[in-house]
Amino acid sequence: MRAGPSTGPGAFRARPRPRWSDPTVWLRLAALAVIAAMPLVVPSFQATDLAIKIAIFGTLVASYDVVIGYTGIVSFGHAMYFGFGAYAVALCLGRFGAPTYGNLLLGFVIGAAVSALVAGLIGAFSLRVKAIFFAMITLAFAEFAGILAVQWSALTGGEDGLSPKLPGVFAVAYDGGRLLGVPVTGKLVTYYAVLVLCTALFLLMARFVVSPLGRALQAIRDNELRAEALGVPTFVLQIVSSTFASMVAATAGGAYLIWVRYVNPESALGVPVMLDVLLMVIIGGIGTLWGGLIGAAVLLTARLVLPDLRGLAVLLGGSEVAQRLTARWLLIFGILFIVVVFFFPRGVLGTAREALRRRPGRVPGDRS
Amino acid sequence: MKRAAPALALVALALSPLLGMEPRVYLTLTVAGLAMGMLIFLVASGLTLIFGLMDVLNFAHGALFSWGAYAGFSAVVLLNGWTGWAESPSVLLNALSLLAALAAAVLVALALGVVLERVIIKPVYGQHMFQILITLGATIVLEELIRIVWGPNDQVMPVPMSVQGSWDVADVIVLRVPVIAIGLGLAVYAGMLALLHRTRVGLIVRAGVESGEMVQVMGHNIHRYFTAVFALGSALAAVGGLMWAVFRQSVSPAMGGEQLIFAFIVVIIGGLGSVTGSLVGALMVGLSYNYVAFLFPKTALGVNMALMVLVLLVRPTGLFGAAR
Repeated sequence: MRAGPSTGPGAFRARPRPRWSDPTVWLRLAALAVIAAMPLVVPSFQATDLAIKIAIFGTLVASYDVVIGYTGIVSFGHAMYFGFGAYAVALCLGRFGAPTYGNLLLGFVIGAAVSALVAGLIGAFSLRVKAIFFAMITLAFAEFAGILAVQWSALTGGEDGLSPKLPGVFAVAYDGGRLLGVPVTGKLVTYYAVLVLCTALFLLMARFVVSPLGRALQAIRDNELRAEALGVPTFVLQIVSSTFASMVAATAGGAYLIWVRYVNPESALGVPVMLDVLLMVIIGGIGTLWGGLIGAAVLLTARLVLPDLRGLAVLLGGSEVAQRLTARWLLIFGILFIVVVFFFPRGVLGTAREALRRRPGRVPGDRS
Repeated sequence: MKRAAPALALVALALSPLLGMEPRVYLTLTVAGLAMGMLIFLVASGLTLIFGLMDVLNFAHGALFSWGAYAGFSAVVLLNGWTGWAESPSVLLNALSLLAALAAAVLVALALGVVLERVIIKPVYGQHMFQILITLGATIVLEELIRIVWGPNDQVMPVPMSVQGSWDVADVIVLRVPVIAIGLGLAVYAGMLALLHRTRVGLIVRAGVESGEMVQVMGHNIHRYFTAVFALGSALAAVGGLMWAVFRQSVSPAMGGEQLIFAFIVVIIGGLGSVTGSLVGALMVGLSYNYVAFLFPKTALGVNMALMVLVLLVRPTGLFGAAR
């Protein structure tokens, strides 16, 4: 009992902060360094686009993990808040205001506020029903938001979406000369702004889940009845958790908008985005927070690389069946996905942690 | 009184639009709504078995729906190629070709259902999260297989001549396909009720859901029964898919995904595991969709969601759900 790392009352006490001898801290810093160095080392747009999207979606997935992995609420509406953030920023910059820094900030604030309001209302109305019903209700709301975005085209631009202009240093045309031999373009400034934002959100969430509040949430996840009996206000805390996560998701959505400079219902709001997030959180590992980055990296890279497998058809003899097989890269993806769920049900990080946990001695980086 | 409340709600819902439209339009819309409700019920009834009774969140249900539609499509096309049954004016031959399509759809879905249950569902009984994920993966694979076998584009479903067209009853145009759908839906409903509540198999399955261990102790191989129930649910999805294809006169690889959310909504509105609940829920969804689509076209798609949220807020276990 004493030796068990995550069971028993000891798990409730906050653990000491990670020391610099902890290898996982260095791994995280390395991941940050790789993404930060990407536009300087690999100048191709595809690579930088992939790197920053991994950061953005990693943040989104981590915020979903706060809800599903740390609080135990299964929600299918989380991607909706991502879309809210993206649309709020796009509307403030495009339809309702000039592209100024003030409006940019206002967009982020409005996106987070609307998301918090909607998440709070949905939670207050429907968190009392059974878990799977809550999942379906959130799915219904997400679906409804998607329909609204398509139908209300006077506001949202319908299927075509919005492509606002960005202010000052973020604008495409911005030219900041050269800094240490690197041309400073609007795209580069945006890249680092988004990266800083995502890093800040990540640190915020990492702090959130180890705070006393986060500990209480994990108690709810592990045993709701017991938590309630111990005097934890489970209902209120569940609402707080989903509200917090929705605000993070909205901010990530805003970051997505200023990088892509475009938003439409399909790419940011709809159920397909939700499915992606679900896949990413599973691949990375539920309840690990940082697994989100791994999940996003795996899925987005697969999306980028697998369609290129079409070339393999030539090697397989170029028959029609071979061509059809390789053209349908999603098939390979689906099979891979089933295999991953079967053999690594805890995701990459979860499996790694379990392996480490089985080793005698100290447990590095176990903060779940 | 409490038992009658959902039925009363359904009747009230069905009558409410009379306030705002002509009786003739109302009748047409009602028939269309009932037909749509029955089509949805065909899909949802399979889900009721799998999700409601066995508590398995089967997101692959939509893919099985598409497979059923494509299997029936192939059967009709092949038969028509050999014998020209679908194009002949004879009602009997038309019916035979549809029956062949039905048989093909059911057989394919039964086989797929057995494979799915044995290979990917069995290890994840009782784990909702993994059921969602694994069946999502299965959906991707099954849909892609459809695209590989039949090609990625929509195709026109050849519908036998005597099934097309409409009857004209007292100035109300009644399409034939919806009438067939209503008949088939009622037959499936009666069959399921009889199977679950009047036969020994139904008794064992219901007991197995309550306490699997106990049923096994009594000497019944519960796994075999569950496989059978899953295959039966898959077959119902396929029947729904085939009817949908006949109704729309087309098949497309993604057709099942669109229906899946409807089916889940219906099962939840009706209450988990209740066949009657699914029927009432499906009719409610079908009727309200048609009325609202006529009165306020833009909000039609949101109305099902609104209906579900409303029902769950009033009765968190669904209309006919037992408090579990």
